[in-house]
Amino acid sequence: MPDCFPHAVTFPFLCTTMPTDTKRVRGPEVSQSPTLFLCKHVAVLPSHGRRADGRQRDQVDVRPVFVRCGLVSQAKGSAYIEAGNTKLMCCVYGPREMERKDETDMKCGKLTTDMRFAPFSCLERGSWIQGSQDKDLSLMLHESLQPAVCLHKYPRSQIEVNVMVLENSGSVLAHAVTCASLALADAGIEMYDLVLGCSIRQNGASYVVDPSYMEENSCSSVSSENQGGLTVAFLPSLNQISGLQSDGEMNEETLTAGVRTCIEGCYKLYPVIQQALTKAVRRAAPPPSES
Amino acid sequence: MATVQVSEAEKVYILHGIRDDLRVDGRGCEDYRHMEIETDVVSNTDGSAKVTLGDTAVLVGVKADIGKPRPKVPNEGYVEFFVDCSANATPEFEGRGGEELGTELSNTLYKVFNNKHSVDLKSLCISAGEHCWVLYVDVLLLQCDGNLYDAISVAIKAALFNTKIPRVHISADEEGGKEIELSDDPYDCVRLNVENVPCIVTLCKVGHRHVVDATLQEKACSVASLIISVTHKGTITCTRKVGGGSLDPESIFEMTEAGKRVGKALHAPLMKLLQQEESLGKARQKVGFLG
Repeated sequence: MPDCFPHAVTFPFLCTTMPTDTKRVRGPEVSQSPTLFLCKHVAVLPSHGRRADGRQRDQVDVRPVFVRCGLVSQAKGSAYIEAGNTKLMCCVYGPREMERKDETDMKCGKLTTDMRFAPFSCLERGSWIQGSQDKDLSLMLHESLQPAVCLHKYPRSQIEVNVMVLENSGSVLAHAVTCASLALADAGIEMYDLVLGCSIRQNGASYVVDPSYMEENSCSSVSSENQGGLTVAFLPSLNQISGLQSDGEMNEETLTAGVRTCIEGCYKLYPVIQQALTKAVRRAAPPPSES
Repeated sequence: MATVQVSEAEKVYILHGIRDDLRVDGRGCEDYRHMEIETDVVSNTDGSAKVTLGDTAVLVGVKADIGKPRPKVPNEGYVEFFVDCSANATPEFEGRGGEELGTELSNTLYKVFNNKHSVDLKSLCISAGEHCWVLYVDVLLLQCDGNLYDAISVAIKAALFNTKIPRVHISADEEGGKEIELSDDPYDCVRLNVENVPCIVTLCKVGHRHVVDATLQEKACSVASLIISVTHKGTITCTRKVGGGSLDPESIFEMTEAGKRVGKALHAPLMKLLQQEESLGKARQKVGFLG
């Protein structure tokens, strides 16, 4: 039988140095997207005026979101969220019996989160194997969701949350948190509150709410002070912050103002999520007809 | 993470103590435990430091290698972090047990250093697009007694201060080919500017107050902590909420303010100490691991 994988011939050293998934056809080990070499100047975005997608700067102008529950029938609960071009879906399985029995605390249930990027979701192709960035995001998702879930009601059991990013156009973590809490609610898991996520990107004196991928990865040409990203996960009816993460360089006042802006952004999202949830409940258990 | 069992009565004792600004070991709420720093402890590294904070012990080694710059930033070198939780620290880390904590710590370190000023990456460039210095910062946990983040960040700052990168010369021949020449003199080195390297302050929320440098017992009483990395100027380069609980927005603002204050105060004595140790030169008495 002729060899039908041409790069297995061209690159005989493939899969020798790193443990890789041999079941999938991969490109050569060292290959880079041509866009990396092309768009050196594209990364600089203007720091005033309207944003590329027509939204306002320095205002809580989040992208309109589209959310829907129950798109995966096999899962206990599921949700899909779309904000601009950021598209992700989340499935919740469980509560089911804990896999590892050696965990010390049996009085509480266990929440496991797994967040993955589809290889084609970003500008550059990713790998199918979970990288350290994905692991970090999974952990952030876990820490943001855990305070909201009544885990003490599910002793000896685990609840699995899987998030798949289909298209990454910025603010992935914030939308993943929102989507996952909606999926948990759809699965009928008891929760104290919904969890909403919002992120901002600070660029000198101005900021953008719910940044797109380009805005997230742009390097500013103006000042180097106060550059950074911030993501907040918020429980709206309890007024509690369950997740907070920032990087870059910010002074204290900017950070504090940023957190407040993010909370405001979460409140903007709240009615949309509530509506999606009531719609899902109505569909699952239609109200008795008045006759 | 290494955990200890704390009974209900002990918890109440710790909580009441912290409420009255008096902790179990006699410290106030914003005091650190006794800290010891020694640099240049491993001769095979380009820079190393050992830090003990209470019973937490961390060893950091920095190795400089020549690598290829990242295509996105051809005129900069880069820094890689790796945290190893050895089974020496606690039996829980045996096998793959420490992996999760290790990735969490190293991912946070990448965030802490994800800005333009912490380390001058441009100074690590040898020839743009071709060669650059790659600093491998390897962190080894020798003992865990709470507050790993702070100890690690101080150790990294000390190790980077201690790092000596050999001077290289680039000579071009007639045909335009470039050659890298390493200086013959082992003392002909470049030092890094560590002025802007941030220190991490972990604030543990215990009851209605927060404490700095929590021991394992105090950590067991808290539901959530906030990590803040602060430079000597008071710029915040990273914040992150860790732990299973949520925090009130107001208490987050309070903790940020306290973290900034504590972190800022940490830098001056640390730099003074490092410079003092450096000025001793060969007359310095080495303490090593048994001191």
